[in-house]
Amino acid sequence: MENKKLIQLFTQKAEAVGTIVREMGSASDAIQYTAGIANKKQMNTLACPGLSSKDRDLISDLCKSEKLTFLESPLREQASFLDISLTWANYGIAETGTLMLVSNSEEIRIATMLAQIHIAMLPISKINQDTEAIEHNLDKILKNDTPSFAAFITGASRTADIERVLAIGVHGPVELHIALLKEA
Amino acid sequence: MIKTPKDMKTYKKQLHEALEDSFLRSALDKFNTVYRENRPTVYEGIDFEGIRDLIAENKDRLIPFLETLFDEFKRNAQKAGTIVHRAKDAAQANEIIARIAADNQVKSIIKSKSMTAEETFLNDHLEEKGFEVTETDLGEWIIQLKHEGPSHMVMPAIHLSRYQVGELFEKQTHSRLDKENIDKLVKVARKELRPKFLEADMGISGANFAVADSGTLGLVTNEGNMRLVTTLPKIHVALVGFDKLVPNLKTTLTILKLLPRNATGQAITSYVTWIKGTNQCLNTPNKQKIMHIVFLDNGRLSLSKDPVFSQSLRCIRCGACANVCPIYSKVGGHKYGHVYIGAIGLILTLFYHGKENDRVIVKNCLNCQACKEICPVGIDLPHLIKKTYAQILKQDGKKPVKNWVLSKVMKNRKLFHFLIRQSHLAQKPFTKGAPLIRHLPSFLEKDHGFRSLPVIAKRPLRDQWEKLHQAISNPSLKVALFAGCAIDFIYPEQGKALLTLLQNAKIQTGFPMDQTCCGLPAMMAAEEDTAKKIALQNIRAFKDEKVDYIVTLCASCASHLIHNYQKIFKEAQEDPAGLKSFTRKIIDFSSFMDKVYPLDDHKPTAAKKVAYHAPCHLCRGLKVTEQPRALIQKAGFTYIPSKDEDVCCGFGGSYSVDFPEISREILKKKLDNIEASDAELLVTDCPGCVLQLRGGLDKRQSPIKVMHLVELLSKGQI
Repeated sequence: MENKKLIQLFTQKAEAVGTIVREMGSASDAIQYTAGIANKKQMNTLACPGLSSKDRDLISDLCKSEKLTFLESPLREQASFLDISLTWANYGIAETGTLMLVSNSEEIRIATMLAQIHIAMLPISKINQDTEAIEHNLDKILKNDTPSFAAFITGASRTADIERVLAIGVHGPVELHIALLKEA
Repeated sequence: MIKTPKDMKTYKKQLHEALEDSFLRSALDKFNTVYRENRPTVYEGIDFEGIRDLIAENKDRLIPFLETLFDEFKRNAQKAGTIVHRAKDAAQANEIIARIAADNQVKSIIKSKSMTAEETFLNDHLEEKGFEVTETDLGEWIIQLKHEGPSHMVMPAIHLSRYQVGELFEKQTHSRLDKENIDKLVKVARKELRPKFLEADMGISGANFAVADSGTLGLVTNEGNMRLVTTLPKIHVALVGFDKLVPNLKTTLTILKLLPRNATGQAITSYVTWIKGTNQCLNTPNKQKIMHIVFLDNGRLSLSKDPVFSQSLRCIRCGACANVCPIYSKVGGHKYGHVYIGAIGLILTLFYHGKENDRVIVKNCLNCQACKEICPVGIDLPHLIKKTYAQILKQDGKKPVKNWVLSKVMKNRKLFHFLIRQSHLAQKPFTKGAPLIRHLPSFLEKDHGFRSLPVIAKRPLRDQWEKLHQAISNPSLKVALFAGCAIDFIYPEQGKALLTLLQNAKIQTGFPMDQTCCGLPAMMAAEEDTAKKIALQNIRAFKDEKVDYIVTLCASCASHLIHNYQKIFKEAQEDPAGLKSFTRKIIDFSSFMDKVYPLDDHKPTAAKKVAYHAPCHLCRGLKVTEQPRALIQKAGFTYIPSKDEDVCCGFGGSYSVDFPEISREILKKKLDNIEASDAELLVTDCPGCVLQLRGGLDKRQSPIKVMHLVELLSKGQI
């Protein structure tokens, strides 16, 4: 499938489960976007584990001007007031609008599980058609003799446990945003 | 605490109460319909049957080697620091987990949803040992607060309304809540449980997959609580059944294509998480978690060696067998299982929780095949339910009187037919000359009076055959009729209608007099030996007939003669002479008319509007779906679609006598749909369904008439 169609399918499937997908240029655009969302939603705290030191500097500067508190590692003690998180995703699965995140780092796990809003950056070159296409890569990670924690994430946390009515954000993020990056 | 009734009287009382629960009834009925209606969208572009067969084949190949897979899993998991245990039963699993907690000075435990932990009653054990246990899946938390077991494997609190949940939450939070607003109730759980996650010392999860070649657990979830349970506390313990072992990621991803689609109608759940080893945990001295996996046997390994029941280990706990079950949708999971709910629950209860907990619930199956059709791993659930009942009778070593009589009578065709003929006389006081019995004696009327009953014919078809039957010179085809009890003794006119059609087309038709009941009622009563003897009698009766087809007007007979005869002898490891040629020749009426009968296509359409009821054993048993509807049109009638045409009418043979209240409610919904359809006639192609539908509509004094398709076609223009 040609790249454009793959992006289209990925976006369509992700949006179908309520994920907000935006195409943008680079990580710095995603950082601007994150600050914008934080501002719009009147959020106070932000964490971005796994980003490069350059990007972290950029984000921490931005936090100062936007009156946002930048949460440094370790996040565990600050988890109860973590509002928004920005992380990388390793792969996209177009067929279901799914992200794959290698989350061996506890900081990544906490940021993606406990924030109100999770924003994930995904280079468009990392979008694959289906799970079969990433099977080999995931298998390699899992067959390493070291511990690992990998996740497929599709949309926000959800439940239908009361009267089968869909409710979003029961334990995990209330919103999932995907920043599709043209340049990685 | 789960208390499953052990005697029929208590069970029936509970069923009655469940049928009176108006919230439960409307919620589950709606769910049943919505689930089935959404299915085509959910499975768009997915080859359900192809993937199902592939999974079943893979699982069957690996089930005999679960211990080998366990060894492989253990080896690989250990390399990443996991401590792997095996527990022979529930008690041992619970002890292992309590010991891990005690050894690590644990006080509070958080749990994510695990049917396996429900199976072992793990919470009760841990609480007894003084640990504080909090369920964090929303549905599980609700039923924990209510001190109940789950009523569905995927949606444990589906039996409760928002108001009931709201009341529980008000008690828990000591505050007033907006009980109308589900979103707000969900946020109560988020707020209440968040501190529990952050404070807990140990997290317990289940797993959907244990991937042997890497030692990884795969978990399929939506809420995000499982991710917190496995991340925040310093210890993670997973309780996993041996049946969750899969060889590799490839198999896992294949199953993942069907599991969420079948369970919740999602292409994939919000989270699918792969966990291996002692992952990073920054608040421990060595910055690593403690990771234990307890594999539970509890009967699984002996089940894996059972030639008949091993296929029940294919189950991936999607819960769909409950979703589509017409009985579940009337009475709910607390009345339709012990710990495990739905069709698979009626089977697994015997093996995991003992015969006492299964004895009465196992009888509550219509054999409508809806669960078998929906099962993503192709388990022959209705068949195994009857085998489970047979197993219980075998373990008991004594049979109910009903079975004893049934066996004695049915093994002897002459005695059986003599007794049916006698019933014609016995019913006289009730018929008052009418074709239907409209009023039963008062002690029967209350439970069984929801339908008028047909009378036993004065002269069965077999007695009329010689006179009706005409020899045909140069026949175009030779067939024999397998009448079945209903056509022979209750509705001989349907047999006569068939004969008229056949003779019009110069088809020579035989009626071997030694034929008897197909044997399905014996099979339903778990009288396996009787069912086998009857099968042999029928095979012998038709052995010398030089015919191309054996036509039957009864969908249940057809499905039993074709499929169950093969199963019966395969399980008995016997291959009686004539079996293959007998089953090969059996054909249901609709297929015969569609495939074989010389039909004239060019008929003007008459105005008469005809609704169709699809018999379970035809549409699901034999996969005959389009033909009868097309035949209605070809005969010059207007086919009017109605809602839920392929849902059971509630007859189920002796089921409607054993569980009349449920049968009545299933029939009611069916007839409501028919009456809403604007049809003048209701047609079906099974005499059992005719009995139920005609009896129900007569009792309602409805103007809609019920006919067997053969009667419609012989009256029509074919």
